[in-house]
Amino acid sequence: MDLALQLLVNGVITGSHYALLGVGFGIIFATTRIVHFAYGPIFTVAAYMAWYSAAMLGLPIPVALLIAILAAVLLGVGSYVLLYEPFEKRQAPHLVPLIASLGLYIVLENLVGIIFGSGVRVVREFTNGIHFMGPVFFTTIHIWQVVVLVVLGGALAVFLRWTSYGKAVLAMTDNPEMARIIGIDTRKVAILVFAIGSAISAPSAVLILLKDGATTHMGFLAVFMAFVAVIVGGIGSIKGAVIGGFALGMVESLGMLRIPTEWQSSIAFMLLFLVVLLRPQGLFGAAMRR
Amino acid sequence: MRRELLGLAAASLVAFAAADSRAEDPEKFTIGAILAMSGSGDWYGKVMSAGIELAVEEINAEGGIDGIPLEAVFEDHKSGIAREGVNAINRLINMHDVQAVFSSFSPPTIAIAPIADEQGILVVNGGGVSTAMVGISDNLFHNRSLASDLGRAAVAFADEEGWSRMAQIAWRTDAGESIISEVEPYWEELGGEVVATEWMDQGATNIDTQIAKMRTANPDFLALWLFSPDPGMAMRRAREFGIDVPVVGVEYTADVAEIGGDHMEGYYYTSDYFTPTDDWSQRFQEAYRERYGEDPEFYAANYYEGVYLIAEAIRRARAEGGDYYDGANLARIIREQPTYPSVYGGEMTFQDNGVAQKRVALFQIQDGESEFQRYLDLE
Repeated sequence: MDLALQLLVNGVITGSHYALLGVGFGIIFATTRIVHFAYGPIFTVAAYMAWYSAAMLGLPIPVALLIAILAAVLLGVGSYVLLYEPFEKRQAPHLVPLIASLGLYIVLENLVGIIFGSGVRVVREFTNGIHFMGPVFFTTIHIWQVVVLVVLGGALAVFLRWTSYGKAVLAMTDNPEMARIIGIDTRKVAILVFAIGSAISAPSAVLILLKDGATTHMGFLAVFMAFVAVIVGGIGSIKGAVIGGFALGMVESLGMLRIPTEWQSSIAFMLLFLVVLLRPQGLFGAAMRR
Repeated sequence: MRRELLGLAAASLVAFAAADSRAEDPEKFTIGAILAMSGSGDWYGKVMSAGIELAVEEINAEGGIDGIPLEAVFEDHKSGIAREGVNAINRLINMHDVQAVFSSFSPPTIAIAPIADEQGILVVNGGGVSTAMVGISDNLFHNRSLASDLGRAAVAFADEEGWSRMAQIAWRTDAGESIISEVEPYWEELGGEVVATEWMDQGATNIDTQIAKMRTANPDFLALWLFSPDPGMAMRRAREFGIDVPVVGVEYTADVAEIGGDHMEGYYYTSDYFTPTDDWSQRFQEAYRERYGEDPEFYAANYYEGVYLIAEAIRRARAEGGDYYDGANLARIIREQPTYPSVYGGEMTFQDNGVAQKRVALFQIQDGESEFQRYLDLE
C-alpha cells in the first residue's frame, strides 16, 4: 500500500512534467501543424543557459530562469522565422519542415555540446529539500514541477479563453485557412505560439537541471514525451495534452507496481499504440473539432 | 649441372624476392578506433580518443615503431549502435587498410567480431564490459576488467561486510544484463538474497519508480550496475528518497561525482584502478593533465595503454620477420606472448579468453574524494 501511494505521487509529479512539455509542444503543433522536434534541443539550451547563469555567473536562480526563457523564446521564434516560414511561403510539403526540424535538432544539440562541453552540468549551489508525508516522500523540485504546471497551464487557459490573441490561436488551431480568411494575422499568431511554447519549455528544463543536472541529450526525452502526450491527449487540445501527460506519468509510475521496470520505457509506446488504435483522434481530439 | 645451377639461382632469386616483399614495411601503421564520438555516451569517446591521441603522439615523438610513424583514425559508433560499428570497421578496412582496431561498448564490439575474424583484424577493447564479448573472436582482446568481474567483486565485498539483502538496479543494456546474469547466481551462492531487481534505460532521467520499489524492498544494501553518469543520479535519488543503506557500484567518474554531488559520500565501487604507481604512469598522468587540463580516467588509461600494446605487438611481429603486418598475426603474437607493460604499473597478462588479468580495486567516496580501500582478488 505504501508503495502504491508512493508510485501514485511519483505519477502525479512525472505526469506534471510531461503535461507541461505536452502543452508547450502541443500549442505549436496544433496551431502551425509543424512537428517541431527542435523543441527538444531548445529545452536543452534553456537548461544550459540557466546553468551558465546560475553556476558560472553566480546569478540567482529566478534570474537564470528568466535568461533561460529568453533564450528559448529567441530560439523558438528564430526557428520559425528563419527555417519553417520560408518553407511555408514556398508551400513545401509537410514532410519538408519535419525533416528541417530534425536537422535543426541535430545542429542545436551538437552546438550545445561544442559550446558548453559534453559533460553533465549541475547547479551545486542549489539544495533540493526532502519532504515526508506519512510513508510518501517528495522533494522541493517535485512540488515545483506540479506548481509550475498549475500556474502556467492555468495562465495559458485564461490567455486562450479571454484574450483576442488567445482566441486567434484557438481559431487557427481549429482551421488555419478559415482563420486567414476571416482576417487573422496567422504569421503573427504562429510567431506568438512559437514564443509561448518555447517559453513554457524553459521552467521545465530548469527544474530538470536542478533535479538531475543538464546533459546535451536531455532534449530527446523531453520532445518525445511531449509528442506522445499530445498524440494521446488529442492534437489541438491543451486539456488533452495535460491529460495525455498525466496518463503517461501514471502508467510509467503506477503501472510499474506489478510490471517489472524493464518495461518502463516501452510503456509509453504501448499507451500510444493503444490510444491510436482505439481512438485515433486522441482522448480529446474529437471534442476539439466539434 | 648448369641447368641445375640456373634453377637453383632462379629459385633463390624468387625466394629472396618473396621474402623481401613479405618483409616490406608500410609507410605508416594506421590504427582504427571505433568509439562513442557522438550520442549519449560521447564522454567515453572524448576520454578514450584523448588517451589514444596522446599515446600516438608520444610514440611518434620517439621515432614511431622501429622508425615507422603511427597514426590513429577515429570512427563513431554513436554510443553503442552495432550497425554503426559494422559500417565503421568496413570503412577503416577499405579506406585506411587498418590491421588493428580499438572498439568500445559491447554491442558494436560484438558486431564487428565476425568481420575481424574474417578479415584478420586485431581488435582491442578497453571500454566494453559485457561478458558476451568473451570468446567470440580469436582476434579480440580486452584490457578492461569486464562488468561481471567488477560486479562479482562488489558483492564479494558485500558478503564480507555481512550484508545479505541486495536490491539492484541495472542498465537495460547488454552490459547491465551481463552483470545481473553473472552476479545473481554468485550472490545466491554466497548465501545472499536478491530482494529487488530494477532496470533503467541508459541516460534515463526519471528513476523515481525504481528507487521507490527498491526502498520498499527494505534491502541491506543497494547495488548499482550502472555506468557514467547514471550512478550519480541513482545515488542522489536514493539518498533523497531516504534510502540510507550502503551502496556499491562498478563505476565512479568525474561526471558521476558532478551529478551525485554530496550524495556520493560513502559510495563503494569496484573498478579498474588507475593511479600513478611508477614512472610511466606518472609521466602519463602529467602529460595528460598538461594536454587536456584534467586528470586521466581509467578509460583514457586503457586506450593509452592499448596503443602501446598494439605498438609492442607490431614490434614483436616485425622482429619475427615475414609478412608481419597483419591483424591476425598481431593477435597470434599477443596470444603467444601475452605479457605487456601496463600503464597501471607493472605488467598485464592476457588470459586464454583474451581478457587481461588485472586486480580489481575497491574504493569508497570519503569527504568527496575517491579513496582506495584495497584490492579484491577474484577467484
